[in-house]
Amino acid sequence: MLGRGLKRKLSDYEENMAGLSSAFDSSRSLPYPLKRQLVLNMCLTKLQTYKMLVEPNLHRSVLIANTVRQIQEEMRQESNQQPVNICPGIAPASHSYTGMESPGIPLQLPSGVGQQESHCCDLRSVEDPIENSLLIVSDDDMSSAISSILKDLDFVEDISPPTCLVPTGDDQPKFPENTGLKLEDDRQDLKGAECVFGSFEISNSTSYLKDLAIDDIFEDIDTSMYDSDFCCPPLMPPRSPSLATEEPLKTFPSCNSSSANNIQICRTDLSELDHIMEILVGS
Amino acid sequence: FLAGFGSLMQDMLWCFSQVKGTIDTGVTEADIISTVEFNHTGELLATGDKGGRVVIFQREQESKNQPHRRGEYNVYSTFQSHEPEFDYLKSLEIEEKINKIRWLPQQNAAYFLLSTNDKTVKLWKVSERDKRPEGYNLKDEDGRLRDPSMITVLRVPVLRPMDLMVEATPRRVFANAHTYHINSISVNSDYETYMSADDLRINLWNFEITNQSFNIVDIKPANMEELTEVITAAEFHPHHCNVFVYSSSKGTIRLCDMRTAALCDRHAKFFEEPEDPSNRSFFSEIISSISDVKFSHSGRYIMTRDYLTVKVWDLNMENRPIETYQVHDYLRSKLCSLYENDCIFDKFECVWNGSDSVIMTGSYNNFFRMFDRNTKRDVTLEASRENSKPRAILKPRKVCVGGKRRKDEISVDSLDFSKKILHTAWHPSENIIAVAATNNLYIFQDKVN
Repeated sequence: MLGRGLKRKLSDYEENMAGLSSAFDSSRSLPYPLKRQLVLNMCLTKLQTYKMLVEPNLHRSVLIANTVRQIQEEMRQESNQQPVNICPGIAPASHSYTGMESPGIPLQLPSGVGQQESHCCDLRSVEDPIENSLLIVSDDDMSSAISSILKDLDFVEDISPPTCLVPTGDDQPKFPENTGLKLEDDRQDLKGAECVFGSFEISNSTSYLKDLAIDDIFEDIDTSMYDSDFCCPPLMPPRSPSLATEEPLKTFPSCNSSSANNIQICRTDLSELDHIMEILVGS
Repeated sequence: FLAGFGSLMQDMLWCFSQVKGTIDTGVTEADIISTVEFNHTGELLATGDKGGRVVIFQREQESKNQPHRRGEYNVYSTFQSHEPEFDYLKSLEIEEKINKIRWLPQQNAAYFLLSTNDKTVKLWKVSERDKRPEGYNLKDEDGRLRDPSMITVLRVPVLRPMDLMVEATPRRVFANAHTYHINSISVNSDYETYMSADDLRINLWNFEITNQSFNIVDIKPANMEELTEVITAAEFHPHHCNVFVYSSSKGTIRLCDMRTAALCDRHAKFFEEPEDPSNRSFFSEIISSISDVKFSHSGRYIMTRDYLTVKVWDLNMENRPIETYQVHDYLRSKLCSLYENDCIFDKFECVWNGSDSVIMTGSYNNFFRMFDRNTKRDVTLEASRENSKPRAILKPRKVCVGGKRRKDEISVDSLDFSKKILHTAWHPSENIIAVAATNNLYIFQDKVN
């Protein structure tokens, strides 16, 4: 058991995970594949949690990703050597795990109870409260979990490379080669935005923004006056100054969202824009 | 008194000296101490906390009245080094927590130190003012401007004594050079440059230039999906201004020579210990991640701290450490639980004593450990309020691993993992240590016989 004074979250899932990891530590006769599965689940859960954070910890993410890779490699080698699943306790999946978006990854209960040793039975009783949903994580899922979190880290972080006084061997700033489709789209958005804002770079730091439609974010704002095509010039002389300042602000959040693939950035009056940017940046 | 030189562990008894901080059981997050550092003479002791504040203690002059009590440390200066910032571009909050403080050697009456949070390094000047000019012509004593037409006599301002005032002023701000979180800073022995290291890069700065830095190490891969290793700590050699080391999350140390290339991506030496197959587990890589690296004062050795051990390496031997000390090996069977509650990612620091004969590092339950390299003896001590009577001798603690627990022992399952000692410091020449236990700073001295 963990020491006293340790904060314990109240959710059932986490309590069960703590119980499971205690079982991992204390039990000697836990089958190896089960242990491995438990560790894998913990890793993927952590990676999943980090994905939700605005700024995941790079050090931890790398360590966890390496652990997943290591387990992945081990499982690959085993499946290459033996076509049959070596642990009779874990039934092979008929379909791969699709619940990667859900925050919890429940541990699958060993289905064949028949030849269980007493320890496996004990584990089952601990796990019963956990949702008995499917768990076998496919190789691809693991790889994509690692890839996506590392790619997100890059996209969040490295907008401005360090200024170098001495030219290094490689003078070009290193661009990550993103094969992921969603990141390609983001880059195109950025290029569109750049022509309006000049050198002012916008980064899309949270991936969850991609999932939200732009309308959902601004549901409570009355946009009926502005429900025109964005191609229309937003600033008209008869408008009062307050409206004029609101208009560019409304286009601004749309530039931030990568889901706005097809929203065209209007050419607003650049001096108006400079003024707005000055206010926002607080210069 | 040749402190530490040839001291044998059995002769060295540690006594409580002072404790700084509140006794309240509820700890304000901002008060948690995040770094501790003595200056080069040991006269000053600086702490940084999560709230971005720096507190400097100064050792009082020894008095003849109480020769058995060496000078106590009292607050000398307190200032807000870093404020929380918000990066509007990335919608990220930048923590004000002070990650590291490093002192510059004293070159005049003022003291200089570097303090850093995740993104910005600052050079602070701490100076004393005990005189002030009086008798200005153009303004009166309250500072109000005088009407020049009313002035008929000119006088020369004179310096008059005043109450001692210690002021800290930021002299340089080194910003916008780190994309990732800064984990280390290190002042070069040339006293003109220093380096700052983040997860993937190390930059070299000149103290006088704040808008440029040299990038001397860059381990960021072209494709972030290939990233498997990060930089965890870095330090300059104490005597050779062209040599530095950095440690990695894979348990390796690279020694680099800045004379060979502008970008030190290729190391001059590579220190790695082959893995012990009998100790292999799912968590082997995580626990091999080095959390701290420190050169010995002599410059001949480096010490590294990973989750369960402290290792001493000889610079001339790259294939394995010359000494390995177990800090809390009883945790090896608890790794899954410690992984689940994230304790396995705790970053413990390690320190040398002045003569490089004893090394110290922290553990859980407010325990800290010392290892005598000569006698191979070790001791576990505890920083707690219960042992905090003046000059009380610290009793060695023991963790019971299994079987029958003796009266004074504590079992592994009873350890408090929220009480961790991550930061400690050792006076450069005497046996005085500073131990940070969450929001309290303990100062211990060895018993003067």
